[in-house]
Amino acid sequence: MNGRERILDMIEDGSSDRLPLMPITMMFAADCLGVTYRQYATDYKTLVGAQIKTAELFGFDYVSCISDPAREAADLGAIVEYFDDQPPALNEKHALLSDKKQLAWINPVDPYKGERMHDRIQAAGLFRERVGGELLIEGWVEGPCAQAADLRGINTLMLDFHDDPAFVNDLFAFVIELELAFARAQMEAGADLIGVGDAASSLVGPRLYNEFVLPAQRKMVEGLHHMGAFVRLHICGKTRKLYEGMGSLGCEIVDLDWMNPMDEAREIMGEKQVLLGNINPVDVLKNGSPESVAEAIAQCHRHSAPRYIVGAGCEIPRGTPPKNVKALAEYAHTHTPEHS
Amino acid sequence: MADLNALRQAVINGDHTSARRITEEALGENTDPLQIVTGCLVPAMDEVGRLFEEEEYFIPEMLLAARAMKESMELIRPRLTATGAPSSGRAVIGAAKGDLHDIGKNLVASMLEGAGFDVHDLGVDVPPEKYVEAVKTVKPHLVCISTLLTTTMPALKKTIDAIDAAGLRDSVKIMVGGAPVTQQFADEIGADGYGENARSAVQKARELTARGAA
Repeated sequence: MNGRERILDMIEDGSSDRLPLMPITMMFAADCLGVTYRQYATDYKTLVGAQIKTAELFGFDYVSCISDPAREAADLGAIVEYFDDQPPALNEKHALLSDKKQLAWINPVDPYKGERMHDRIQAAGLFRERVGGELLIEGWVEGPCAQAADLRGINTLMLDFHDDPAFVNDLFAFVIELELAFARAQMEAGADLIGVGDAASSLVGPRLYNEFVLPAQRKMVEGLHHMGAFVRLHICGKTRKLYEGMGSLGCEIVDLDWMNPMDEAREIMGEKQVLLGNINPVDVLKNGSPESVAEAIAQCHRHSAPRYIVGAGCEIPRGTPPKNVKALAEYAHTHTPEHS
Repeated sequence: MADLNALRQAVINGDHTSARRITEEALGENTDPLQIVTGCLVPAMDEVGRLFEEEEYFIPEMLLAARAMKESMELIRPRLTATGAPSSGRAVIGAAKGDLHDIGKNLVASMLEGAGFDVHDLGVDVPPEKYVEAVKTVKPHLVCISTLLTTTMPALKKTIDAIDAAGLRDSVKIMVGGAPVTQQFADEIGADGYGENARSAVQKARELTARGAA
């Protein structure tokens, strides 16, 4: 059973031969290849090379197109700040929709014509050429709340929920159309699954999440399913109070950040929901030892078996000792889904 | 007569329109501006911090309350300055060099302001030399540096080292915070304090400046 089959079997019925292994790597992967993060985020060939090398080094079951949240915003015309060796980022001072009236005038960009979105589509295509059918290929898009925050500015968006709810819904509708087109292009190029990163949605609390964000995420997930994509939902931050909504979306994989209890997620989201995560990336994975990593991931497994995929709560941080990542991988390589 | 309890509640509710109106009324009636700050705004933001810590409030409610408090403070500040009323202390705050994330930093800045601090916000992606310059010119009691990214954590130490190299380390207390920052990390880089969240940051700021405010 290869990595792709292993993940697909876990999604299908939990019958994979051992635990699948899908930790998020970005800067760690760039370091594995010895390239700067600027190269990684701006050149798909470099990203693909780094992801494949990292997957081979540690026995990951997948590769991912994830790099930074600024690809879509960049192609829409937002000012993106590039750093030599860390992810490109958006500065709220120059948010594309700082004047919300501009929403009426911008159009979703054709992902094939955009520079940074097209780069990611090419990554999915190159992954297919190099590891297609062997490792699962993950495309990536921003979730509705995260992308809305990228375009509007996160501080401003948080106030918009109160000041102008209709604008928030309009912005979400625009974003969903944009992201579905981007996801479709990645699927056509070679992605097996689309990761949806919606970090900003952990900031709004359950009331606003259920009223605004959840319906938007539902539309996005339905759109992704309609095009035949499997979906991995990753929300950075505290999501414990959002579990019910997150579990209702029907995502094939719900990937939880480290501070969220897996056992409660299992209880609320049901036994069929595949859960992924969620050891503390900094305190345990980066600063711990192979023994503490193994102990922590065993607890995650115990709390969420059997529909479970091994990973950290968020990105494996740069500077994490390889022996700790090996310990994480070793756990997946030597354990079946049923926790014994 | 202006209802100061209603002002307090307006800030807690994030109702900036009412907060501004009641503040205008109170100042029009020559209410002591310091009394408005210490009797209304400080306890209101304390309560907002408590509600956030207990997960009854989330970021939008915090930012709405901060906006209401700031609108009130905008009106009060000139009166405070004119009367020479003491602040809780001067604080310089910013996000570390290389980091453009500012929502946590903004919350701490607002909570500090709500606690009576005179806050000088340097913004995001602030290089160490800019902090040094601010320490020289603002003469703060407190410097707060935040980061959301693990990659910019080293910039916290570089900033502290730069303040030290400029011979200014003994003149300020330095606090650090942000998602990847821990008490252990704060200790390792020689910070004086660490706040796990906005409310604990304010509590620590009060402790650190208890004897230094002017």
